[in-house]
Amino acid sequence: MSKGVLVDLTKCVGCGSCMVACKMWNKLQYTRTASDKGGEASLDAENWTVVNKVETKKGNESVWRFVKNQCLHCEEPACASACFSKAIKKTKDGPVVYDANLCVGCRYCMLACPFNIPKYEWDKTFPQVRKCQMCSDRLHAGESPACVGVCPAGALTYGDRHNLLSQAREKINSDSSYIKHIYGEKEAGGTAWLYISDVPFEALGFRTNITTRPLPQYTESILSLTPAVGLGWGALLTGMYVYNRRRNEIARENKSGKDNG
Amino acid sequence: MDDRVKDDELRLEKQVTRRSFLRMMGGLGLAGITVSLAGCGASTVAGQAGGDGWLPQQYQGRGAWPAQVRGRVPITPDNPSIVRDDEKCILCGQCLEVCKNIQSVFGHYGLPLADEMVCVNCGQCALWCPTAAITERDDTQKVLQALQDPDKHVVVQTAPATRVALGEEFGLAPGTWVMGQQVAALKRLGFDAVFDTNFSADLTIMEEATELIKRIKGDINKPLPQFTSCSPGWVKFCEYFYPDLLPHMSSCKSPQQMLGALVKTYYAKMKNINPENIVSVSIMPCTAKKFEVQRPEMNSSAHYWNKQNMRDMDAVLTTRELARLIKQQGIDLNKLPEQNYDPLLGKSTGGAIIFGATGGVMEAAVRSAYYFITQQQPPANLLTLTPVRGLEGVKEAAVDVPGVGTVKVAVCHGMSNGRQVLEAVRKGNAPWHFVEFMCCPGGCISGGGQPRSAVPPSDEVRMQRINSLYQADARMQWRESHENSEVLALYQNFLEHPMSELAEELLHTSYTDRGKKAKQLTA
Repeated sequence: MSKGVLVDLTKCVGCGSCMVACKMWNKLQYTRTASDKGGEASLDAENWTVVNKVETKKGNESVWRFVKNQCLHCEEPACASACFSKAIKKTKDGPVVYDANLCVGCRYCMLACPFNIPKYEWDKTFPQVRKCQMCSDRLHAGESPACVGVCPAGALTYGDRHNLLSQAREKINSDSSYIKHIYGEKEAGGTAWLYISDVPFEALGFRTNITTRPLPQYTESILSLTPAVGLGWGALLTGMYVYNRRRNEIARENKSGKDNG
Repeated sequence: MDDRVKDDELRLEKQVTRRSFLRMMGGLGLAGITVSLAGCGASTVAGQAGGDGWLPQQYQGRGAWPAQVRGRVPITPDNPSIVRDDEKCILCGQCLEVCKNIQSVFGHYGLPLADEMVCVNCGQCALWCPTAAITERDDTQKVLQALQDPDKHVVVQTAPATRVALGEEFGLAPGTWVMGQQVAALKRLGFDAVFDTNFSADLTIMEEATELIKRIKGDINKPLPQFTSCSPGWVKFCEYFYPDLLPHMSSCKSPQQMLGALVKTYYAKMKNINPENIVSVSIMPCTAKKFEVQRPEMNSSAHYWNKQNMRDMDAVLTTRELARLIKQQGIDLNKLPEQNYDPLLGKSTGGAIIFGATGGVMEAAVRSAYYFITQQQPPANLLTLTPVRGLEGVKEAAVDVPGVGTVKVAVCHGMSNGRQVLEAVRKGNAPWHFVEFMCCPGGCISGGGQPRSAVPPSDEVRMQRINSLYQADARMQWRESHENSEVLALYQNFLEHPMSELAEELLHTSYTDRGKKAKQLTA
């Protein structure tokens, strides 16, 4: 059963526990160059999750909201489909995981991701691509991701994705203050991380113009022709080879006939 | 023999020729590429990035298992009282434990947040943090700069509770009395005048007891019970969670702010110093004081002189910060001779000393209120009002005052205890005339800026500090605030009488309704 996390943005108090838990569990460094919380927090090779403070308006009132950002773990990840060395894979539990041993550093995954998640160790001699793994090892052991386990405000709920979806739907339908949209239900064909909010997602910095069609499908529609094109091309060339060979044989026979005759 | 060795060497050379080595390596490389392209080796979790760190034990259960102690408190980077170093945070949950269960702040407000993080600035999280990830905002450099500026007249005041705790930073037992050494250290640091917040604690009693009597007699239209207003953490708590009860709050400023206003008016006048050149610093057991000095209304001296941009207080150092400053300057507190506070704003009574302990403000107020009403010295039992002493969460006492009848008082410390009293007042079930609230458990002696002599803070350390204060009170020649000769001189020369027009302007304040910032929890 595919797992997921439901983020209720109205519950987040911006304590940053999730960010610290991620650093602790994954042994990530605290970098002084990139902020991991506050207004200008950004993901990087050592920040797999960040919490952004967004000052926005709700009606006439100015409000603060905190937005946790990390890999959304797409149901059909574009990064994995772009990865020819199979370093990025979707596990059956839900996480899209990255195997450092297999990565060749081509960074196609970074180009493919619609949410701009995978980051690169630009400062290393032998750099790797880095991103949230949704603590796949913990999930494998039946635990929740580290960030979810430490949240003191109940903003993060871990569970089966389809259960979370129905929970989210129930919440937004029973409370008029919520926006009637579950971010991640359909974006890029659906993601394991789902968000609900009382402020429009555009205002919180979410990319909202993302197709609902799984991104690998675009490439698959063309790449699925590869066997046919390959075989066809082979058949054509073989045919031409056989034709040419036969023509040359006939030409040789004619020539020897003439010579003998 | 030699021939055989040569043969062996030749054979070895033949076995690994350059060509065969390259062929072997090429083959291995091709095999490796094939294996990795096929995705073999990624079948286990072990090859994946991340997951090689740790988390505290409470987070190791199954996802759905509730951890009893979880996460940490939210702190904005611009919090005037406390800062946090994420690198030191181990998510032990102690800050949240004290904030949620002892102070009843976190989790006691509705979400989503309005446009601020609800924090009463008490700093108990800093006191409980075992790794010192949360600390007070360090203002020592600001104070050092002022001390090094020859144009500035730098004045300092020390709170009642710092003199029984500062020594702990220098290896002395909890509760060791270091009042004289503290004054000496401050003088060596270069402060131009060292005053005692105890002086304005006595002054607070003069104003607060007068206000209480006026409420009881119906001379002013304000409800009973009257709440004390010395603890800025408590004041902000009330503004957030019980804004409807703010009329109960005494209008008196805290002793720190009273002295701050007087330093830049009364003291400046008496010493003929330009108030704009005065830098007023305080040594406090409390981190909420750092918030209090920034409250926009705390600029009475600016109004008095009609000069904008002047603040009554310029900087607050916690006990820990003072200890740091003393150590940085290479001063050994233990070896200092005792010195006295400077005159004009430096004298105090036993009533002021016990301000640092839970129940102290109330006990001191009762002593003076009794005198104001009866014009007689209070009986001996009022000088040792045992029912309001000790560390019980909510304490009550009843005092017979001739001419008024029985005056009922209550004392609480730690805001979860405070809630019990506040709920009773809200429901109209409050029999009391006067209630003392202290934000921190044990009162100021265990404030958020005090030395971390036990982590988490223990009642044993609290009691040692409290006992030291009560012993000092018992030793004092004057034990009632209205006996303080410097306070009486202040009224005679400047303020005229308690709650005079000038006293109202300089020593009293009003409060802010923050109810919208901490929304009521809905079921």
